Amino acid sequence: MDSEAYSTELSRQHKAFSPSRVWAIAGNTFTQLVRMKVFYFLLIFSALIIGANLLFLSFTFEQELKILKDVSFGAMSLFASIFAIVGTALLIPKDMEDRTLYTILTKPVPRFEYLLGKLMGILLLIGVSILLMSLLFFTVLYIRQHGILAEKIASLPRHASETDIESFRESIFSRGLQPELLLGVIAVFLKAAVAAGVALFVSTFASSTLFTIIVSLVVYFIGHAQSLALDYYFTQGELHSAGQRFLAGLVGVVFPNFQLFNVTDGLTAGEVIPASLMARLVGLTAFYLTIYSLVSWMVFAKKEL
Amino acid sequence: MLMASVLLASAGLLRLPFERDMELEFKEQGFRDWSPGLSTRDQLTQAAFVGALGGFRSLVASVYHLKAHNSFVKKEWGDVERYRAVTASLQPKFWSYWDMAVWDMAWNAYGHYRGEAEEYGNDFRGWHAESIIMPRYLEKGITFAKRGLEWLPEDYRLMKVIADIYDQKMGNPEKAAEWYLKASQKPQAPSHVYRAYAHQLTLCAGREEQAYRVTEDLYRNSGNVTLTLLRDMERLEEDMARRAAHDRSYDQLKDAAFAEASGYLEMAAFAMHLLEIRKDVPAAISVYTKVADNRRAPSFYRRKLAFLMAEDPQKAAEAYTILKDLAVSYPGALRREDMARLAELESRLGIPE
Amino acid sequence: MADSSTPAVQIEGLTKVFRLPLRKEKVVAIDNLSLQVGAGEVYGLIGPNGSGKSTTMKVLLGLISPNAGRASIFGLDSGDTASRGSVGFLPENPYFYKYLTGSETLAFYGKLCGLSRKEIRSRSDELLEMVDLTGARNRRLGGYSKGMLQRIGLAQALVGDPRLVVLDEPTAGVDPSGSRKIRDLVLELKRRGITVILSSHLLEQVQEVCDEVGIIFNGRLVREGKLNDLVAIEDQTEIVLQNATPQLLDGIAGLVEREDCAQLLSCGHPRTTLERLFLQEINEESKTGGQDT
Ligand SMILES: Nc1ncnc2c1ncn2[C@@H]1O[C@H](COP(=O)(O)OP(=O)(O)OP(=O)(O)O)[C@@H](O)[C@H]1O
Ligand SMILES: [Mg+2]
Repeated sequence: MDSEAYSTELSRQHKAFSPSRVWAIAGNTFTQLVRMKVFYFLLIFSALIIGANLLFLSFTFEQELKILKDVSFGAMSLFASIFAIVGTALLIPKDMEDRTLYTILTKPVPRFEYLLGKLMGILLLIGVSILLMSLLFFTVLYIRQHGILAEKIASLPRHASETDIESFRESIFSRGLQPELLLGVIAVFLKAAVAAGVALFVSTFASSTLFTIIVSLVVYFIGHAQSLALDYYFTQGELHSAGQRFLAGLVGVVFPNFQLFNVTDGLTAGEVIPASLMARLVGLTAFYLTIYSLVSWMVFAKKEL
Repeated sequence: MLMASVLLASAGLLRLPFERDMELEFKEQGFRDWSPGLSTRDQLTQAAFVGALGGFRSLVASVYHLKAHNSFVKKEWGDVERYRAVTASLQPKFWSYWDMAVWDMAWNAYGHYRGEAEEYGNDFRGWHAESIIMPRYLEKGITFAKRGLEWLPEDYRLMKVIADIYDQKMGNPEKAAEWYLKASQKPQAPSHVYRAYAHQLTLCAGREEQAYRVTEDLYRNSGNVTLTLLRDMERLEEDMARRAAHDRSYDQLKDAAFAEASGYLEMAAFAMHLLEIRKDVPAAISVYTKVADNRRAPSFYRRKLAFLMAEDPQKAAEAYTILKDLAVSYPGALRREDMARLAELESRLGIPE
Repeated sequence: MADSSTPAVQIEGLTKVFRLPLRKEKVVAIDNLSLQVGAGEVYGLIGPNGSGKSTTMKVLLGLISPNAGRASIFGLDSGDTASRGSVGFLPENPYFYKYLTGSETLAFYGKLCGLSRKEIRSRSDELLEMVDLTGARNRRLGGYSKGMLQRIGLAQALVGDPRLVVLDEPTAGVDPSGSRKIRDLVLELKRRGITVILSSHLLEQVQEVCDEVGIIFNGRLVREGKLNDLVAIEDQTEIVLQNATPQLLDGIAGLVEREDCAQLLSCGHPRTTLERLFLQEINEESKTGGQDT
């Protein structure tokens, strides 16, 4: 027997949970998605916001800036949610189909770590892409608000006073690049994170990518409409029968409430989100992710591979 | 699997009240939760509806905004109305979408049919455009603004735009004054909204007294005498003086004018009587001189006096001095048409330009 | 750590039944199977297609859970993640992340095994050299041939410095020279004292490298033992000659004839004895029942 082969092995003890293993899986997932050239979507994103900007140039600056923000946030949310659902659906069932999962789970990797790693990898991807998108978005917004100001100043009569210009700057910039927009960016991320949690759960019992995508999308859309159902549930009118109210309540219990994360609609219309609500949104996201990770694990732990 | 479902359900039950709480707070914060009204639902295509529900409301709104614009370019007013309604109701907290809707109805569509009415004159088509379609688009404009106000009850701009329609399109100063006043009471409203209210009041028959109170207050206390304000003031004071001059006797007016506590208004009424009833111009000039010398009297008395004096060759030179002084010291006291009279006076006096 | 008397692999009364979804049918993949592999041994699992070799390995590696019985690795139950700390596995027709390069693949699996960055570097250099992929280390796996994938799979199985290596058909789809290379690798592992379990359809190769063999048929272990014992037949003696002339063979035949009790059974070129045994066992089993396939 070769004693030196044993000595290195003796030094390694198995750990029940190891962040570095989770990180390895997360990093691998991220690399994989990056090498699938997903970041080319940024070209589409830039084309979209610049195109929208050009289309809407003819309106008042207030509308122009609002539409720029709406289109950017809309596209950001769309891409982030697509990445969350499709990315998750693409990778976990593929690992099972290709039996790559065998090679991972026969290393000393608990199944929970595998799920957590995948989730982290997807979250990393969503985070990085949202970061890049917001950088693009903010840059365009910055350029536009200065462009608009320059146009305004040029169109002012020559004797316009410094205070006139200042008030224009004030009213343009207050609708332009403002720190509150960051809250919108965070909300977009939180929503996509919950969507990723849903897709993770679905993919543990679904065996195909297509099924995961379809089910997750259905959950995603019902999750947006469910606040309507909740209104129904909490309206204690005689209008609704017990059966109807039960059904509405069931929808509320089963599906996540995605509408809560939709703060960008109000944000671009000039409303203010209090910090406490934002903090609770973060807490809610953490709760959703914990629950989805747990149930995913419960299903996945018993799964025959 | 069973365990997972149980966990999922209990987590759902756990978060439900919490989420409800948050939703209510969002509502309180003004994020009044949005649900598509029946009319919106009918007007959205299926794809747009799904998109709007799926968290892409503002994106869909932008698209419909663009569609409305395209229809506007093609002058398809029915489509413009539909798309504007969708855009605004998808983003009801954004005043500008409501404003655009109002503008497209009460200005653009209205203006289009006014062109048609002019083109077809007394034809049926012209008549139809003028008396059926045009008023209808004004009503649509007002309806849009009022719907917007349900979402934005504090927005003075939507109130002002209603007042603008009553003022500029319908010639209804009563209603215009009412809405300008409402708008002016909102904290964001700039001062010119209140001035617009004052101006509309001056146009309301039978409310002269109220109009004068408001206008005089603005004139004396706002620190900013605009041309409109000055003209309104002049019109109101002239009307008051003229009414008194016609209603009351020479003695009554004279006594009032020279009473201890009287002001320039009584004096002006007396002067008006002398000028318009007695047709005694020199006497009127001497009384108007007293009026003009009153420090509280607005500049238009000085102008009136100067032009009365200009008719008298002996006083023409003095009149010219007064007018020159007015032109220099009281911007807005002289009107555009006065310039011709001034030039005429100059040539009469042989003064080079 | 288990002492040297703990068997590397212990499987007792293992049964695995697959239920086909939405149907009443059941497939009995493993039927009350017991086997034991001592530390340092090379164990060969042979059996026809669908006999349950891969399923046995999957249960052993905790990928699926058995309906009855238990499996353990160095004394640790297969359901316990810790038991995988000392195992390397090469699945049949392995498939890896094709966006990774060869060395990235090894680094990834190395991290999963808890290796440090330095260990990973030295380990992957060594393994890539060993499986002859040093030249292709910076190419993505998407461009690897089947044989290369099989070899990177082998390297991957070894990256955690395992004490037990499980290879499911390591030579499937590999050309003869590659196949020989893999055989040499297994012999190298054996020399280092690493326990190996492998399944293969190439009996000749199993015979060359395995200390012990188990023959599985329809989920049952029908024959097991030391290769030498299995293929040795007590009352028969085989003489293998080289360059024997016909005259010599005739002479031998004559000598045998003169003996009363002895009898010449066959004369010709030798066959692989394991293959003979295999076919014989399978035929017998098929006759006596258990026809499931
Ligand atoms: N996930 C599964 N669901 C249903 N049946 C299965 C499953 N996995 C394996 N089986 C069945 O179990 C039996 C044993 O399969 P296994 O893959 O273990 O055979 P094997 O000995 O590896 O065959 P081969 O030599 O072809 O690789 C087969 O009849 C197979 O159809
Ligand atoms: Mg097999």
